Amino acid sequence: MNKSDKILLIIITIIILVICCITFSKKSDLPKKAMVYYQNDLVLSIDLTDDSVNTYEVDGLLGKVVIEKNGSKVRVIEENSPNHICSKQGYIEESYEVLICLPNKIVIKIEAEEKIDTIVK
Amino acid sequence: MKRISLLIIICFCLLLSGCSLKQEKEYKLNLYYMDTYIYVDFFCNNKEQAEAMKTSIDSIYESYHKLSDRYNEYDDIINIYSIHNNDRKDDYLVLDPKLYDLLEYSLEFQKMTNNRFNIEIGGIIDVWKKYRELGEGIPNVKELKTADKRNKLVLLGDNKIKNNHPNLDLGAISKGYATEKVGKYLEEQGITKYLINAGGNVKVGLPNNKDYYRVGIQSPNKDGSLVTIVKGKNISVVTSGSYERNYTYQGKTYSHIIDPSTLYPAEFMKSVTVITEDSAIGDLLSTTLFLMNVDDGLEFIKNYNAEAIWVTNNDELIRSEGFSSYE
Repeated sequence: MNKSDKILLIIITIIILVICCITFSKKSDLPKKAMVYYQNDLVLSIDLTDDSVNTYEVDGLLGKVVIEKNGSKVRVIEENSPNHICSKQGYIEESYEVLICLPNKIVIKIEAEEKIDTIVK
Repeated sequence: MKRISLLIIICFCLLLSGCSLKQEKEYKLNLYYMDTYIYVDFFCNNKEQAEAMKTSIDSIYESYHKLSDRYNEYDDIINIYSIHNNDRKDDYLVLDPKLYDLLEYSLEFQKMTNNRFNIEIGGIIDVWKKYRELGEGIPNVKELKTADKRNKLVLLGDNKIKNNHPNLDLGAISKGYATEKVGKYLEEQGITKYLINAGGNVKVGLPNNKDYYRVGIQSPNKDGSLVTIVKGKNISVVTSGSYERNYTYQGKTYSHIIDPSTLYPAEFMKSVTVITEDSAIGDLLSTTLFLMNVDDGLEFIKNYNAEAIWVTNNDELIRSEGFSSYE
């Protein structure tokens, strides 16, 4: 093994270590967010890491859907649908909870460090 | 020098394999069929294949949605609605093989359960639906008996059924059945890591970067809490409960699952969740277990490669023998 071989070996080792570090460091904690989907499109992402209260509007199939963020929780406060199921549901805040406004094709999910992957009900 | 070259080659191989693993990406799909929000999540290392699969998954759910729809008709297909409501003069109807197979599958299970699980109570479901939408009163026995027209469905083979207008309802099977088809389709395409959630029906393959999936079972008390967390891979988890699509009248809550033996909603329990490999069987079993008391259910489930957890009317949790191995 001559000198240049050794240098090459060290360089390769460093490259591999760097790649490993980048790959593993990506798995850091997710900041808590509410993700709002219309059909398959992400139309809004609400940061849930502070204590502020705010309202947001998105377009659903049957009209405007008004979403309220209150600290780390979100709820739907106004929407146009036959049974108003999603506005009656109240706040959600856990990663497995989901607000579904079926007639409006709007789904709101919480993205956070997960305790579970999915839920049956 | 040779040794070094070998080392370099090994290093590059490692790097390359790392790259190809990294290329495996997560694809997500939101669908709305069968009155349910359906969520599909899978890992694939080929973008074009993944996009094509998304389209195919959508069309699998769409076709079962249309075929099992009992309230709407669609051009060019015979579905549950048109089996009941058609003015054809023919003695028989030729069905889409997909629907025929689904009916055959359901009827076979129906016979095994001595008709406790029953797809022919569409007439009774219609009566209950009428009252639920009215928001007032409950039907009397006479009204329900008049609407009860069972034992009409006759399968003739070759995708043909007798055209005698049976009033069918596949609500207790279609979601689980379609979900199983989608899971099988993904596996045929070489996809092993996936998660499908179609309302009360969850089917998971292998997880990504962890040992198992964690499937939460929501409490029937609507308080956001969990009954338990099921841990596993390559399993289906299906819940039947009295708390979805129910109807409250004079302080009493009526579930949407009708007991074919009484014609009234079943009230043996708050919910039951089944773990099986096959999501279609899971759907059939959870509905059937909801229609019998817990003790009978504990015996019944021994005949299947399945586990279950019941939430009784007093909020007690009862588990089948091997259920805790998933907790």
